[in-house]
Amino acid sequence: MKLLLRDAGIGIALLLLILFFALTADHFLSPNNISNILTQITINLILAIGMTFVILIGGIDLSVGSMLAFCAVVGGSVLTVPDLSVFQAVSLATVAAVGTGALCGFLNGWISAFWGLPSFIVTLGMLNIARGAALQVTDARTIYSFPPSFNAFGSQMIYGVPVVFLIALALVGIAWFVLSKTVFGRLLYGIGNNEEAVRLAGHSLMIYKIAAFTIAGVLVGIAAMVYMARLNIASPIIGIGFELNAIAAVIIGGTSLSGGRGSVIGTLLGACIIGVLANGLILFGLSDFMRQLITGVVIILAVIVDKYRERITAA
Amino acid sequence: MKTNLGHVDPVACTEPAPLLELHGIRKRFGGSVALAGVTLSVAPGEVHGLIGENGAGKSTLIKVLCGIVKPDSGAITLAGESYSPQTPRDAKARGLQVVHQEFNLLPFLSVAENIFIEHLPRNALGVVKRRDMNMRARAVLDAIGLKDIDVRWPVERLGIAHRQLVEVARALMTDSRVLILDEPTATLTSRETERLFSIINDLRRRGVSIIFVSHHLDEVFRLCDRVTVLRNGETVTSRRIGETSQDELVRAMVGQQLQKEMTHSIESSARSEKVLSLVNFRHAESPHEDGVSFDLHKGEILGIAGLVGSGRTELLRAIFAAQPPLSGTLLRSGKPVSLRSPRDAIRAGIGFVTEDRKEEGLILSMPIAANVTMASLADVSRGGLLDQRAENALTEKLGTDLKLKYGGPGKNASTLSGGNQQKVVLAKWLARKPEILLLDEPTRGVDVGAKAEIYALIRRLAERGLALLVVSSELPELMTLCDRIMVMSQHRIVGTLPRADYSEEKILTYAYQGEKRQTGH
Repeated sequence: MKLLLRDAGIGIALLLLILFFALTADHFLSPNNISNILTQITINLILAIGMTFVILIGGIDLSVGSMLAFCAVVGGSVLTVPDLSVFQAVSLATVAAVGTGALCGFLNGWISAFWGLPSFIVTLGMLNIARGAALQVTDARTIYSFPPSFNAFGSQMIYGVPVVFLIALALVGIAWFVLSKTVFGRLLYGIGNNEEAVRLAGHSLMIYKIAAFTIAGVLVGIAAMVYMARLNIASPIIGIGFELNAIAAVIIGGTSLSGGRGSVIGTLLGACIIGVLANGLILFGLSDFMRQLITGVVIILAVIVDKYRERITAA
Repeated sequence: MKTNLGHVDPVACTEPAPLLELHGIRKRFGGSVALAGVTLSVAPGEVHGLIGENGAGKSTLIKVLCGIVKPDSGAITLAGESYSPQTPRDAKARGLQVVHQEFNLLPFLSVAENIFIEHLPRNALGVVKRRDMNMRARAVLDAIGLKDIDVRWPVERLGIAHRQLVEVARALMTDSRVLILDEPTATLTSRETERLFSIINDLRRRGVSIIFVSHHLDEVFRLCDRVTVLRNGETVTSRRIGETSQDELVRAMVGQQLQKEMTHSIESSARSEKVLSLVNFRHAESPHEDGVSFDLHKGEILGIAGLVGSGRTELLRAIFAAQPPLSGTLLRSGKPVSLRSPRDAIRAGIGFVTEDRKEEGLILSMPIAANVTMASLADVSRGGLLDQRAENALTEKLGTDLKLKYGGPGKNASTLSGGNQQKVVLAKWLARKPEILLLDEPTRGVDVGAKAEIYALIRRLAERGLALLVVSSELPELMTLCDRIMVMSQHRIVGTLPRADYSEEKILTYAYQGEKRQTGH
C-alpha cells in the first residue's frame, strides 16, 4: 500500500510536468513527439530496470554504460557474420549480447559479495574493464551494416508506440512481478533493509547479491540489442555516462539509494520524467546544456523530497 | 507535642538547592514509550545513583540530558536556569559531561589525542602542539592513577577496562558541574573499580554532582548519597541511601506484576533426552583451547549468566553458526553435526532470538507478516511465488498464540512497541517449529506487561518439549525462568547452579571469581 502511495506521488509529478509542457510548448502532445519521447526513454528505462534490482539490495552499478558498449560490439560482431539467416544472426547475437552482460554482471556481484567489497568500487573497475574489452575486440572500430529487417524492427510502431518501448514495458512488468510476488524479490528487499537479519534467518546473501547484479547485466545485454536495432551501429565508445542516467531514473522514481525501499514502477515513472523533461526543454528552445543542468536540479530535488517522505513515514 | 507537628522535616531543611532538576520528562519513539514522566533532583556534590532494569529508560534519560534526544515534554533546570540542550556540545558548554557505556574513543588515535580531541592544543599555525599535549595527558592519567599507560599508544592497544578509564579522563578534562557515568564499572575489574571510586569521591569533594548509573546495587550502596529507581520510563522512588535497603530497591525495580510472576516457580524439569551437547566447543573469540562443554535437555530452560564481555553472546552466535566455530564437537540429539552457517543451524532445528532486535532480528521497515515468515518462506510460497493469503494466515495464527498487539499483518514492524516487536521475532522462529531456541536478552527493552507474557510463553514452550538456552543480564529473570543456570566468565563456564541453589550472591560470586582469576595472572 505504502509503495503504491509513493508511486502515486511520482506519477502526479509526471502528470503535472506533462500538463505544463502541453500548455506551454507547441507540438508537445503531437503523436510524432510522443513516439519520439518513448523511443528516447527506452534504452535508459531498460538499464534502469536492472539498476533498480542492484540499488534495492543497497548496491550500485557504475559499469552499465561500458557494459552496453561491450555487449553491443559482441552482439554486433555476431550480427555481421556472413552466411547467417537474419533469424539465426539475430538470435545468436541476442544470446551473445545478453550472455556477455550476464557474465559481466555475475562478476560484479560475485566479486563484491565474495570479498565483501563495496559494489561502487568493483563496478568502477568493471566500467574500465568492459570499456577496454570493447575497444580491444573491435580495435576501436565501429561495427555497422546490420540486416535491414533488424533495423526495421528497431523503428517499428504499433499505433504510434515504438515496439522497443513495448518491450521495455514488458520488462517493467516482469520485474514488478519478480520483485513483489516472489520469494526472491522479498529477500532482495530484505537484504537492502537489513542484511544481517536475512542472513540469520537462514538465507545465503551471496546468491541473491550475485543474482541482482546478473539481472542488471542481462538487461544491459537486452538494451544493447535495442540500441543496435535503433541506431544501426555498434561502437565501443557508446554508452558513456548512461549509468548515471539510469541511476537518476531509479532515484527520481523514489528508490532509496541505501536500499530496501522503492519499486520498478517508480523507476518507469522516473525514466519518463527524465525523458519528458529533456524533450520539453528542447521544445522550449533551451540548449542541451540547460537541459542537463535542469535534470541535475531535479535529481537533487527528488532526493530531498524522498528524505522528507522518509521522515514523515518514520514519525 | 503540637509544636512538633509544625516542625519542618530536618532533612529538607539542611538540603541545599538542587543543582539539576528534572520534572515530568516524557519521550516516545514511534509506538513505544521510553520515558513516561521522570522526576529527578540532584544536589551539588551529591553522588546520585540511577538504577532500573534494562529498558527502564536510563539510557534515554541520559541521552536527553546530554542533548542527543529531545524530550517530548517536561522541564529541566540546571543551577536554577532552564536547561534544554540541543546538541551534546550545548550540554558540555553548560557543564554536563557523560561517560557513555558504549565507547566513543577513536581507536587509531593516541591516548593523548583522544583525551584532548575536543580542544587539541595548537600553536598559531593550527599545528597540534604534540609535546604539550602529551605532557598534559600524562598529568591527567597520573592523577587518576593510570601510570602504566603510555599516552602515545593508540587506543586500540588498550584493554577494555583501560579504555573506560581513558573515557573518564577525557570527561574530567573539562570542568564539569554534572558528570554522568553510565555503567562505568561494567567492564572494570575490582582493582580498577576501586580506582574509579576514589576518583568519584575526589570529584564529590570538589562539589561536582555525579549521576551514577549501575546494575550493581552493592556499588550504589557504597558510593551514592541518594538513589532513584526508574521503571517503565517513570520515577518509582527516590530515597536517601541510609533510608532504604537492597530488597526495597529490587522490589521497586521489578514491580508488583513481576513479583507475582516470580513466585510462580516451576519445579518440573524432565531431564530426558539431550538435544544439544557441546564438547570442547570453541569459537574464534575464545582464548581457551578446550572451549566449553555442556548439555541441554529436551524441555529444559538453561540460563547463562555472566558479566558483560564474559562471552555469552559469542557462544550463542557460534552455536547458531552466525560466526562459524573453530573447533570442538556439537552433538544434536547425540549425533555430531557440523553447522557452517545459520542456514545449517536452522535446518538442524535451532532458532536464535538475537540480543539486538533492530540490527539483527527484525526488518523494521517491512511488514509484520514479512518478518514473521522470513525464516519459513518455503511454507508460504509455491514454486518461488509468495502466497500472500498463507502468509497472512500464518502471521495471524502466531499473532493470536503470542497475544501480539498489532494493526494488521501488512503494517510495518516499526509500528510496534518493543514487547510486540520481540514477539514478532519469537513468531519468526516458532513458525519453523524449532526444537532448540537460543534467546539472547529476550526481554531487553520490553515493558513489564509484555515481559510477563514472554516469560509465560517461554515456559509454555519448554512444557511443549522445546529446549531453551537463555542469556540474560537480569539475574531475577534467569532465576525466575530457568531450571539451571550456568555462569560464564572470560569465555569459560565457571559454575552451574541447580534451581535449589539460586541466589544473586552466588551467581555474582562465580561471575566475579573468574574475573579475578584472570586479572591475577
